Amino acid sequence: MEEIRAAIGDPVSGSPAVPREKLEAVFEDLRSHALYEHELHGCLNCGICTATCPSAHYYDYSPREIVQLLWTENLEGIYDAMQEKIWACAQCYTCAARCPFENSPGGLVMLMREVAIKHGMQSAKDALRPFSRVLLKVISTGNQLAPNMITRDHFPDWGPNVSKVDAPLNLLRKAIPVPTLHTMDTAWEVNLKTSVELYTIWEATGVLDQLESVDENLFDVIIDVMDEKREEYAEWLEEQQESGEATA
Amino acid sequence: MNESTRNPQQTYAGFGPEWRPAKLTDTEARAATSWVEARIDRRSMLVGKDRVEDVRDIMWQLERDGEIVVHRIGEQHEPVVARTLYGWEKRIPTNQLWHHKSCGQCGNIPGYPTTLLWLMNKLGTRYLDETDQTSCTAWNYHGSGVGNVVSLAAVFLRNFHQAYVSAKAQNLPEGYYFPLVHCGTSFGNYKEMRSFLMHSAKLREQVKPILAKLGRLVDGKLLIPEEVVHYSEWLHVMRERVKEHQIIDCGNIRATIHPACHVYKMVPEDVIYDETVLDGNRVAVSTGIVQTLGAQVIDYSTWYDCCGFGFRHIIGEREFTRSFAIDRKIKVAVEEARADVMIGHDTGCITTLDKNQWIGRAVDKVYDLPVMADCQFAALLCGAHPYKLAQLHWHASPFEGLLEKLGIDWQKSKAEFEEYLKDVAAGGRIETLYDPKRAVTSGPGFIKPATAAQRSARE
Repeated sequence: MEEIRAAIGDPVSGSPAVPREKLEAVFEDLRSHALYEHELHGCLNCGICTATCPSAHYYDYSPREIVQLLWTENLEGIYDAMQEKIWACAQCYTCAARCPFENSPGGLVMLMREVAIKHGMQSAKDALRPFSRVLLKVISTGNQLAPNMITRDHFPDWGPNVSKVDAPLNLLRKAIPVPTLHTMDTAWEVNLKTSVELYTIWEATGVLDQLESVDENLFDVIIDVMDEKREEYAEWLEEQQESGEATA
Repeated sequence: MNESTRNPQQTYAGFGPEWRPAKLTDTEARAATSWVEARIDRRSMLVGKDRVEDVRDIMWQLERDGEIVVHRIGEQHEPVVARTLYGWEKRIPTNQLWHHKSCGQCGNIPGYPTTLLWLMNKLGTRYLDETDQTSCTAWNYHGSGVGNVVSLAAVFLRNFHQAYVSAKAQNLPEGYYFPLVHCGTSFGNYKEMRSFLMHSAKLREQVKPILAKLGRLVDGKLLIPEEVVHYSEWLHVMRERVKEHQIIDCGNIRATIHPACHVYKMVPEDVIYDETVLDGNRVAVSTGIVQTLGAQVIDYSTWYDCCGFGFRHIIGEREFTRSFAIDRKIKVAVEEARADVMIGHDTGCITTLDKNQWIGRAVDKVYDLPVMADCQFAALLCGAHPYKLAQLHWHASPFEGLLEKLGIDWQKSKAEFEEYLKDVAAGGRIETLYDPKRAVTSGPGFIKPATAAQRSARE
């Protein structure tokens, strides 16, 4: 019987069997996360977290269940929750504010998302597909959002009044009385030096590796943009040096 | 079994066979309830400070130990003391401020930073708005899971270090400007990062070489801000001074407040509560300024709910976002509180609550509730132009009725703005709130200011 189950997985859910080693590796990554003990202290199953959870209204999702799975070290349940449920959390931290044990179910979900990405889980790839424009923007510029991302084409459900004055976007941006906001591709004008500094942080903290594991194509595009900007900055530095020498 | 035949001593169903009634006496039940309340009720927490740690104690100790440098709020920053959840003091700097902008506000609802800077000009506040800053990157982290505590902490330290040294570009000393965070998520995230850094020597070890490589240590040490301050806190402590500039009465306006989750549910011990603002039962920011300016603040049953933004949901699962925003917030504010406006203090909330109303028409849920930030509302009452300054044309919800109720002629203002756009299009003068040259403090585009010696030599 065990042999059959091992070969076909769970016949009820239809999902393939996950090797025990894999389940343990996923849990070990969670348990060894620097914030794991900060976010999880115990659970009496009181359910106050789920009672106040916005996502629990609309999804098959319960922060209480997440905490219980981790607290009881239910490895199959944890792995299963990482296939879909963890992406339902709205990250409002209402659960954390309410928990008498000072657990942070929302914080635990973030650790699970990080680990889902590390293991290249399909759920992470699916969840992040609509996020690729945002990832491209934030990693290559340091700005999460740009005015030219907020258009009627991208957000048709926001209606015809995305702007109530009929004028080209670049003109409306110029008419904002804050000079750093006269931009289209980034939310504010970001200094080239600033973006280049940020690349050092991405490289040193493994963020680019995370990106590569979920979206290789996007990773390639971002590396190209980073190379271009670094080159541009290096040229500027060289010019500065030359003009300094000329002045001297 | 119906209610009339139920035996009050009988157990309830659904607890499993092992469940037995406690059979507490009234006194015992009261004692048990009190025990629970003592642990979860906010008011009991006010007198139970000892059970909660103040991360600033660790911060000062680490500075004494020579491990970090604290960017202090000095007299030059003209601090005003506010009280937080547990009655602790938080010093809010009110002058010489470095604007740490919000990507969502600047990209999407620019009237937010615009009115804040306009109010600061009105109050004579010195500030710097510059290009050398990144987003906190926490929206991305909470939405996608791409990022981690080390990257978030490094970005925090990098941006706050820039705030510390930024004044050098104006030949002013380090520490002259103190950072003021515009975004609610940045505020919550940065407070978390400060706390994690204070608690974890390992995290400090991980970020230090990165900051060293960027040239962003002070005397070889990490720089930590004395406080992480949100713009709404500045507005709160300045509310009486803002009122001095008020020219439009708003006594006929019924306002609902949407407090932002990442402002007051993340690191809640750092959030301002004030006994004079709804008896201290709600976070004080936004409610305080709106009350002070004379509007009727109407409480409502879902004030504690989030807006539905969800970080990834607003991008990829908008059916959740708009359903939650309409059903749990906008509908309740209109039907229960009969609100004229909803006021917020965070990027994602204003976007979500404002932009997601139109689609309600598909299911006959038409509420048409104007949504804006506290600083936009305050600026309008102080005479800010609704289009040129409050930039209300970026808002999708209908604000025109609110302006009419305030006695503001929005049609005239709109026509003025359209004329101004023609001037801008023709290459005419662009009105700005400060000298654009100040915005670049290093790197490409930076022009070094003349030193005093150079200036006197020229004269």
